[in-house]
Amino acid sequence: MKFKLPFNKKQPQPINEAPKESLVRVASASDHFIQSIQNATNNPADLIIKLVPPNLTLIYIDNLVDIETLNNDIIANLQNKPHETLEEIEIAMSIPEIQHSNLLKETVESMVNGSVLIHVEGYSQVLLANIATRESRALSAPENESQVIGTQVGFNESLSTNISLIRRYIVSPELCNEKFKIGTRTNTSISLLYMNGIANDQMVNTLRQRITDLYIDELLDSAVLAEMIDDNSLSVFPQMLLTERPDRFCDAILDGKVGILVDGSSMAIIAPQSFTEFFQSQEDQNLRWQIATFLRLLRLTAFFLSVYLTPFYVAAVTFHYEVIPQAFLVPLSESRALVPFPPIFEALLLEFIIELLREAGARLPTKIGQTIGIVGGIVIGTAAVQAGITSNILLIIIALSALASFTSPSYMMGNVIRLIRFPIIILAGFWGFYGIMLAFCFILIHLLRQTSLGAPYMSPFYPPRMKEMRDSIVRMPIPLTAKRPALTRPKDKNKFKPQPVKPKKS
Amino acid sequence: MTKPIQLSPKDMISAYLLFFIIHGAQVGVGIQGFQRIIYIDARQDAWISVLIAGIATHIVTFCMIKTLEIYGSNDLYGIQIDIFGKWIGNLFNLMYIVYCFVACFSVLRNYIEVIQAWLFPSIGTWFLSATLLIIIIYAFTGGLRVIVGVSFFSIILSLWILPMLAFPLKYSTAESLFPILENDFRSILKGAHSMTFTIIGFEILNIVYPFIKDKEKIRKPVHLGLLLSTLIYLAVMLVSITYYSGGKLVKTIWATLTLFSFISFPFVERFEFIAVCFWMIIILPNMCFYLWAAYRGATRLWNISGVKFVWLFSFFIFICSLVIQTRTQINTMNTIFGKVAFYVVFVYPILLWPIALLKKNFTSKKVKHNEQA
Repeated sequence: MKFKLPFNKKQPQPINEAPKESLVRVASASDHFIQSIQNATNNPADLIIKLVPPNLTLIYIDNLVDIETLNNDIIANLQNKPHETLEEIEIAMSIPEIQHSNLLKETVESMVNGSVLIHVEGYSQVLLANIATRESRALSAPENESQVIGTQVGFNESLSTNISLIRRYIVSPELCNEKFKIGTRTNTSISLLYMNGIANDQMVNTLRQRITDLYIDELLDSAVLAEMIDDNSLSVFPQMLLTERPDRFCDAILDGKVGILVDGSSMAIIAPQSFTEFFQSQEDQNLRWQIATFLRLLRLTAFFLSVYLTPFYVAAVTFHYEVIPQAFLVPLSESRALVPFPPIFEALLLEFIIELLREAGARLPTKIGQTIGIVGGIVIGTAAVQAGITSNILLIIIALSALASFTSPSYMMGNVIRLIRFPIIILAGFWGFYGIMLAFCFILIHLLRQTSLGAPYMSPFYPPRMKEMRDSIVRMPIPLTAKRPALTRPKDKNKFKPQPVKPKKS
Repeated sequence: MTKPIQLSPKDMISAYLLFFIIHGAQVGVGIQGFQRIIYIDARQDAWISVLIAGIATHIVTFCMIKTLEIYGSNDLYGIQIDIFGKWIGNLFNLMYIVYCFVACFSVLRNYIEVIQAWLFPSIGTWFLSATLLIIIIYAFTGGLRVIVGVSFFSIILSLWILPMLAFPLKYSTAESLFPILENDFRSILKGAHSMTFTIIGFEILNIVYPFIKDKEKIRKPVHLGLLLSTLIYLAVMLVSITYYSGGKLVKTIWATLTLFSFISFPFVERFEFIAVCFWMIIILPNMCFYLWAAYRGATRLWNISGVKFVWLFSFFIFICSLVIQTRTQINTMNTIFGKVAFYVVFVYPILLWPIALLKKNFTSKKVKHNEQA
């Protein structure tokens, strides 16, 4: 069964701009030119029109251009000197990026992007001096994907800053950067980055195709883009990684993956991505392989605990008392003796409270957030048990599974873990272990059906690639992981020539 | 010869995955209680019966591969049409589809019975049947790759059950195995014959063959898969014979599950409750493969779409699961199906091989004759 995507990706590009409008020329008379620009931009309050005697007109949008450059390099150079031709003016200004245009539409678009229009009386051509400035915050540590060992810098909201960060990591002319504009109203710039000679052409083409086929009027964040260009947008599992770490991004690109940066968004998209890679952290590469392996196995265990522990409790207590060891049965029944609810209701209630706490903690300012922790952890926990609404043991289990769900390095995957627990608890409450197993099989088949940019989602487990399991739920020493993952079908399969772990002593 | 099946490389699977396909299709509900049936025939030599049945699978598979190789890239349905002509061939195809249907259904019905007997006596058959069918439909609509993936994970994820056989060993005595070969060869062979219901599944090779990428490499994974199944059956059988007393084993319907029932860990007891539920993932590939095999035949007969077929097929299985309800009915079904399956799986391929050879020689001579004329 192929599900139809909820939005049509392949809507034909509407021909809303009549060819006539796009071919309107720039007027040669200044009055007409000013009038036409004002009409085209609906005469906004921040449109600045500056007449520079004797024959120049400067038009720009306030706050979009760098005022200092404008004063020092353009106005100062042009003032009070008669300029006859456009070339003379161009030479007089010390601005690196200057374009000529005689089309009104192009002129307006350039101005909205932060150019200054320089019009000379009598010429039906305009100079576009790009001195755009963008408001952006300073680079800071990645707060959502923090690491102990590793770089402490994250992407910010400026596309150019992010690209320069990546260029600083990968100093190579092979790093390809393709620009696209998405959104008929927002005109958001996005960049497609990949390594020439490593990334698979077909994958780059697929991604390029998916981006250019998009017909949307706004794009405000990369998460939206990731959802729209996913292989299966209906699945709860994300098929592309969102990361705010430039080192992780570069590592992925060097593995042959394709990355996307969106202007105005501090999260980069990486594809293709397999299921196991969501449980890997960039820190694993920086730690010793034994420790990294331990941490990865810990996270995998946490995933299973988080998803199946509460349902197991519910199923065992509701239907299968026999599987609980006798020694454990006494404390369990003691703690449950006063609880008036059936286990399924008890578990759902507590899970609901934990989710409330998490959501409240995420929305509140940091200072109040700590109070929420105290309220949640101590007040509700202890009070709920003393009031006899829940049992102690369930409280421990719920807390454990909540804790485990936060170990996922990808916040998106952590959300999925917390969500899929609910249907499994309900199934377990109605049909015991059989219900859990149904859910397990369903999730397994669902994962097997998914692809990420056409690559199998369950790679490297299925299709089984023994050699790649070295860097999956375990991490073998670096000399053993010299090959790039086949998931990306890289053109250059080897990262480096495997060296002996210990060079021979001379 | 009929035209070989044309497949895009995207649908093809690697040869080594046949190991998982064969093994995953073989092991299913039969292993839960095959000891009793064989023990009735062969007594303490039942393990020899298992061994003989295992060797028989290798021989039959050898013939199957030989037959398939004659035709290059075609499945059993195409071969039958080629050998027996359009009408009789299609009749045989229809019969094979019915065989797949019954095989799929018997797996489902037996598993439902186990669930009802061990876990939920009051739960409706219709509910278990419907939920399992939904899972299978979901896997089937993903295509062959997903089905093989299910088979792969079913084997990998259930490997941990094998070491559990060590628990009963504590209470076993090797003396139960002696005297060896006390029973006559006839009863041992009869026991091997009774293995049919448990050991079948590898006939899926007949259908999956055109989908294999590197066809010259299939022998090793196929025979390894068969070997692993035989070894597992053998191990289970040996443990059962040594653990149970003879009289007890004859009375135990699901001897393997009963073996599990006293396994206990510090955190979990009555292990068979978990095992019975976990068995779902072991029977999934069984049912998916039979469903898929039936679909491959149905597309040749009626040009039906996959989605339409799977819903029809599931609907009929669902109806049948409501009709056959009691233990006696299920037992009768298993026995009859086992007998039919013996001829379909063990006898038929051995007969088919020489027929295919003859036909090939005949056709090639005819072609030569035509060329000369």
